[in-house]
Amino acid sequence: MEEQPGLSDQYRMSSPWPMLIAFGLAIAEVGIIWPLAPLAVGGLLLLTGSIVGIVREAGYVESPWPLLSGFALALVAIGLALFAYSGGAFAVNSVSESLRTSGSIGLRGLSIAFAGVIALVGALVGKYWTTANAGHSV
Amino acid sequence: MAIEGQIALTVLMGALLVGVAVWLTRLEDWRSYTPLAGGAGGAIGDESAHVHEEKPAGIIRWLTTVDHKDIGILYGTYALIAFVWGGLAAVLMRAELATASLSLLNNTQVYNALLTSHGITMLFLFGTPILAAFSNYFIPLLIDADDMAFPRINAIAFWLLPPGAILIWAGFFVAPFTEAMTTGAATSWTMYPPLSVEQTNPSVDLMLLGLHLTGVSATMGAINFIATIFSERGEDVGWSNLDIFSWTVLTQSGLILFAFPLLGSAIIMLLLDRNFSTVFFAAEGGGTILWQHLFWFFGHPEVYILVLPPMGIVSYVLPKFSGRKLFGFKFVVYSTLAIGVLSFGVWAHHMFTTGIDPRLRASFMAVSLAIAIPSAVKTFNWITTLWNGSLRLNTPMLFCIGFISNFIIGGVTGVFLAAIPIDLVLHDTYYVVGHFHYVVMGAIAFAGFAGIYYWYPMYTGRMYQRTLAKWHFWLSMIGTNLTFFAMIILGYAGFTRRYATYDGLTVGPVEVITAMHQAATLGAFLLLIGQIIWVWNMVSSWIDGPKVEDGDPWNLAETNMKSREWAWFERKLDTTIATDGGAEEEPLADGGEPTESDES
Ligand code: HEM
Ligand SMILES: [Cu+2]
Repeated sequence: MEEQPGLSDQYRMSSPWPMLIAFGLAIAEVGIIWPLAPLAVGGLLLLTGSIVGIVREAGYVESPWPLLSGFALALVAIGLALFAYSGGAFAVNSVSESLRTSGSIGLRGLSIAFAGVIALVGALVGKYWTTANAGHSV
Repeated sequence: MAIEGQIALTVLMGALLVGVAVWLTRLEDWRSYTPLAGGAGGAIGDESAHVHEEKPAGIIRWLTTVDHKDIGILYGTYALIAFVWGGLAAVLMRAELATASLSLLNNTQVYNALLTSHGITMLFLFGTPILAAFSNYFIPLLIDADDMAFPRINAIAFWLLPPGAILIWAGFFVAPFTEAMTTGAATSWTMYPPLSVEQTNPSVDLMLLGLHLTGVSATMGAINFIATIFSERGEDVGWSNLDIFSWTVLTQSGLILFAFPLLGSAIIMLLLDRNFSTVFFAAEGGGTILWQHLFWFFGHPEVYILVLPPMGIVSYVLPKFSGRKLFGFKFVVYSTLAIGVLSFGVWAHHMFTTGIDPRLRASFMAVSLAIAIPSAVKTFNWITTLWNGSLRLNTPMLFCIGFISNFIIGGVTGVFLAAIPIDLVLHDTYYVVGHFHYVVMGAIAFAGFAGIYYWYPMYTGRMYQRTLAKWHFWLSMIGTNLTFFAMIILGYAGFTRRYATYDGLTVGPVEVITAMHQAATLGAFLLLIGQIIWVWNMVSSWIDGPKVEDGDPWNLAETNMKSREWAWFERKLDTTIATDGGAEEEPLADGGEPTESDES
């Protein structure tokens, strides 16, 4: 269909974040339940990154980095708590047989915490080494 | 998964993230685009008070849109794909049941997996989304709102669905490649423990995760509709003149808000039972009946979540072609609200045979019989609207009438089932399958078709092929009644549901059972042909059906029935012609130069 000057056309019509949030949530969910560390880490990064993105796009925050580091710290805290709960065990093993071993719980904790660490590094790099601080001129 | 697998996944995931990052920086181009650079179609760009952003072109537009109409189209496309998947699963099952012994499928477990996938797909991936397609596209137009209250949340809600579907269907895709998975999940849509806990097949976990995502999606959508209908109505749209479709969607959203989070929680409990040795639904914990209570507390409202908006569509479209206003509008609204409230008080009618306390049973029977009253009120109002009207039997109208007819059979069989003594005999037979298919296929899908045809000119700008549409209707009507009436008889004959074979029968009217199974399969194939015609008609007409030039393609103005969304459409047609000028090639297509794209 063609572009048409209808009513709703006077508002922002597109945003890249919703799709990324949804996919991030799905990937993180699978990665954490089935301890597949790469999916857990990647999915959490996608999810937190896009939540921060959409919040900034909507103008609720000026700069994305403080919010991102907040999420990062929360992930680190949750992840370490889970790791501690597992008694510091850690194992990379097969999907179907090991969902409830303490090694696999430790793996889940570490992957969540690791996602938090990467997000934190991202936030610091973003804040001190890029110019993307201000909100958009829009 | 061995360590190499993890490394491969890491690389894949890393590549995906880098890809996303690159994509995002490319998008900056259009994200910071100013109205002045808008190009063709940016005629209102000079209203600089607004943030006017062009939609990006091509596929990116669809991936990033937050416009309610685009999201409506996305929901519709998604629902269509799910309908094809669920429909083919059903056809495979019916083909298998044409003969008494296993002849087509590899083993009965495949049948069970198809059965599960069919049920879950049709309810969660087709039913709920097709309704969201209508409500996204039309509610803002009907209530004169600029868009949904939360456009971005709206987009998130949609985008949760594709991963949800992939996870729900994953068993079928992944099983051929791994030994850990045998086939798709085979729990049936009700996922009763202990079966669903004891099936070690990991595709059950994936299905539960996917269901969870679709539940989150439905809840987000519902919050959005409630907020939109409450706070975004235009100046001259009050509660007193809110249209019937919006009323039903508002009620539906309320039901979703109470039902779906509960399903989500129950699903998490089931996941924990499966994977982390909790005992929520184990005999030593809450027991399996706990699951049934939680599931049906969601499950019964779910059936009304599915049926209320279609009732709204029928109440909305039927008067247009009867030349009369909806009879007893107020009572149709009240009955909608009554159904909404009562539907939370009937869930245990799915559990009459489980040995729950007979006093509980009796009260659930009473409320279940009571809920038939508002349903009947609606039915009488539709019939009275038709009474003495000047009927125009075009395709949307035929589907509305088919809806009423099928809903009566579906509803009356429901009332029978709500009576405990009858249910004790008929529970878990094909009678139940016949009952709910009369409602879900015969009524809900029919109302969906009515809406799809009725608004087709609006969202495509073109007209469908009328003869094909009539074929679609008659094949669907005959197919539905053949298939599902045969099931009702199968139920009376005592044939139980969820069986892949019937060659071991030693009691009962074996010939009747065989004949009815074959009749049902025949009906299913009629349905299949009808739906192929429909998809063909929709797609081919969208590509090169005759353009709609009149803002009132159904001549509703004649009977004073033209409503707000068609007025919007008329404005749109006018302004499109006014502003597009020669910039677009479309206006030329009908005139002088025959371009290739037009002829094909
Ligand atoms: C007129 C009101 C209705 C009444 C009194 C009613 C009653 C019942 C009863 C008592 C059962 C349980 C049968 C059994 O398992 O033994 C049942 C099953 C079912 N009904 Fe209805 N029903 C009504 C309307 C509807 C509607 C409108 C829908 C769909 C939108 C629907 C969908 C279903 C489904 C899906 C099942 C089967 C669930 C399963 O076991 O898989 N019903 N109905
Ligand atoms: Cu029910």
